[in-house]
Amino acid sequence: MQVIESLKVKEKVYIEKLENGLTVMIIPKQGMQKKYMIWGTHYGSNESSFVVPGETDITTVPNGVAHFLEHKLFEQENGTNSLDVLTALGVEANAYTTNDHTAYLFECTDNFYEAMDELMDYVQHPYFTDENVEKEKGIIGQEIMMYDDYPEWRVYLNAMQAMYHNNPVKIDIVGTIETISKIDKNILYKCYQTFYNPSNMAMVLCGDFEPEAIIEEVKKRLINTKASGDIKRIYPDEPDTIVQDRIEQKLEVSQPLYTIGIKDTVDCDRKEKKHIAIDILLNIIIGRSSKLYKELYNEGIIYAQPTLEYEFTNIYAHALISGQSPNPEKVYEKFKKEVANLKENGIPEEEFNRIKKMIYGSYIKEYNDVADIARMFLGDYFKGINSFDYLEDIEGITVEYSEQILKDVFKDDKMILSVVKN
Amino acid sequence: MTYKQEELKKGIKLHTINTDKFKTNLIAVFITTALNRENVTKNAVISAILRRGSKTMPSQEDISKQMEEMYGASFDCGLDKTGDNQVLKFYIETINDNFLPQTGEDMLKTSLEKLLDIVFNPFIENEAFKSKYVEQEKNNIKQRIEGKIDNKAKYALDRCTEEMYKNQPFGLYKLGYVEDLDAIDGKNLYEYYKSLINSCKIDIFISGILNENIPSIVFENENIQKLQERTPQYVIPKELNKTAIETENVISESMDVTQGKLILGLDVCINEEDLRYDVLIYNSILGGSANSKMFQNVREKAHLAYVASSNYLRYKNNIFINCGIEIGNYDKALSLIKQQIEDMKNGNFTEEDIANAKKGIIATIETIDDEQDTGITYYFGQELSESNISIEDYKKRIEKVNKENIIDIAKKVFVNTIYFLKD
Repeated sequence: MQVIESLKVKEKVYIEKLENGLTVMIIPKQGMQKKYMIWGTHYGSNESSFVVPGETDITTVPNGVAHFLEHKLFEQENGTNSLDVLTALGVEANAYTTNDHTAYLFECTDNFYEAMDELMDYVQHPYFTDENVEKEKGIIGQEIMMYDDYPEWRVYLNAMQAMYHNNPVKIDIVGTIETISKIDKNILYKCYQTFYNPSNMAMVLCGDFEPEAIIEEVKKRLINTKASGDIKRIYPDEPDTIVQDRIEQKLEVSQPLYTIGIKDTVDCDRKEKKHIAIDILLNIIIGRSSKLYKELYNEGIIYAQPTLEYEFTNIYAHALISGQSPNPEKVYEKFKKEVANLKENGIPEEEFNRIKKMIYGSYIKEYNDVADIARMFLGDYFKGINSFDYLEDIEGITVEYSEQILKDVFKDDKMILSVVKN
Repeated sequence: MTYKQEELKKGIKLHTINTDKFKTNLIAVFITTALNRENVTKNAVISAILRRGSKTMPSQEDISKQMEEMYGASFDCGLDKTGDNQVLKFYIETINDNFLPQTGEDMLKTSLEKLLDIVFNPFIENEAFKSKYVEQEKNNIKQRIEGKIDNKAKYALDRCTEEMYKNQPFGLYKLGYVEDLDAIDGKNLYEYYKSLINSCKIDIFISGILNENIPSIVFENENIQKLQERTPQYVIPKELNKTAIETENVISESMDVTQGKLILGLDVCINEEDLRYDVLIYNSILGGSANSKMFQNVREKAHLAYVASSNYLRYKNNIFINCGIEIGNYDKALSLIKQQIEDMKNGNFTEEDIANAKKGIIATIETIDDEQDTGITYYFGQELSESNISIEDYKKRIEKVNKENIIDIAKKVFVNTIYFLKD
């Protein structure tokens, strides 16, 4: 078993790749009552076209299959639903689907092994029938409609439409009423067989565990499956350019919501270094202590710190600045101006170091809760990152490197403004 | 983990939670005052204006820079309605010294001083809050009040509560009212602040790796020294004396929504505090988990909803049922929900349902000490309701509840208001 220790946050991760290809990561947390287990597959809404290992033809499925599968896996052949079984054990069970992975999880204090039995059983035993697939369409239909009423979700998804021509990040993770109507049990089985092979999956356990012992417990519960070959994932070509620099939707909201998006290209190595630098840059430009934030706040153009994030998977990357404002155009204009100003005059050293300290603290804080830790390790793993790397790499991020990233990423012709208003 | 409390002065308490489970120290100051129409808006502006600066950090920018310098200390404030009280909450979270790249910093002491400075030593000009700040924060609060329509599910719940508690403190919106903002200026707000700070209940919570000096550091802090003893004015949420209303109130309103949001506000007409454990189990079976009647029958069997749940508000003895449904399915969903409430009365639930509910609730209680903010919230809840129940006792009381107890509760549950938000 490989052991990686972070002296900064004083935690260790034990990593083992099993014979069947499954990667298991264990982060022991002594003294915690809470135990958390999460099992994920590197399969999300990004994957609609692929070549099944051993086949030559491309398979294309309707949008929303990964999420539909997430709902359906809980159903068991004996008529029970694993979510009910887990809940009955007093554990908090859930599942979620993102653009690049799907995960099944539970958190508990007691009955850990019983819950582990159930989780590992249902993820390895799909049971789809025409009837249970049809039934789910009603529930997911209500989920889709619920998201239609979230202005935050609309402004985000519209930003994706403005930035991307073909990339699947622009489609809704849950699909649409129309696409899910085309899903049937055969499609679900095919996607399951392809993406739920252990070699495409990873598991994280966080809590008061003894790594050697817990890995044996995992092995005991695995059914006999051979590692499959690589899944060829087919993604549409995506030009570097944006689609349109403005997008607007009408919804009943008190104040316009905005998202400024900056489309980036995917860099294969040291993604986390770039991530850190962009986090620092966003904070220098429009963070709580920035000149721009102060100016916008005093003019009543913004009244809370915008949300600043850098999102990326293996097939897309972008920075997002989101919030509410009576005048999103003004926020956008001033943001661009501040970017130009920083490019011209450089990043002040003092400010840079202060923000760096803040970002360092924010990484340390991620290690308080077993759920946050496990989810972070899983999400980062599918991006090819070990979460500890953020703590290690931040020291080496320099003003010069950040200025380079500023020039490479924060380009006027890669920016868009998405607005939702009355 | 050890929890201790001591009275610093009459009406001002220090609570310490000594725990080595976290990378951070979390400090909270809670200002508790009785909720009323006259002051609700002022309190909201107070909580916003204090973020604008203190005597030692005179601007928002100074505060932000200070926090960033402290490895991203998170300073945060919130405003809550807890029973018939309004609670102004101020938090600071910093990295524990053990995880700082440089040694020799006493981050806990520094963060404590900074937080107390922000809350008790605000930036003042000519015996008033700076009028420019006040005008900006009034506008800010106005935006936030108007912003309540943005989250439709939350809005429907707020409207249902408002209708159930018309002309009563709990029906007030926690951020107050736009029309009450006009009368507020820097001078009268500062006068109000002084009276608030000298009459409210104050609780200071410190959670993290603590040493024995902490109480004396707090006690000797000059901002704490300045505070007077007080008999705090707040409402202890004990006696509720609820009676069932004669006829249910049915309200339907329109907004630009795709999905209808259906809320049922229920009264639980019990007056003994100890019965609240029974209600917790009742709620869990009705709509508190994935095994509940709501989730199973409304979502899984009838496929009418994605969200189908219920919540117990123990300070007011209400249960709120919450559903997102297709607008045309209103009648169908409503009668199905009412059937679930009826089924509870008729004892149509099993011993297994009870055992499952207990396991779920106990698991939640067991994790209280594993989450720093949850720990603080738990002990504050105890403080406010003047109860002193250890986590062990709490579990025992949950274990004791039986089927008859739950049916007894079910018979005391009445629909008060049905609220529907549609297009």
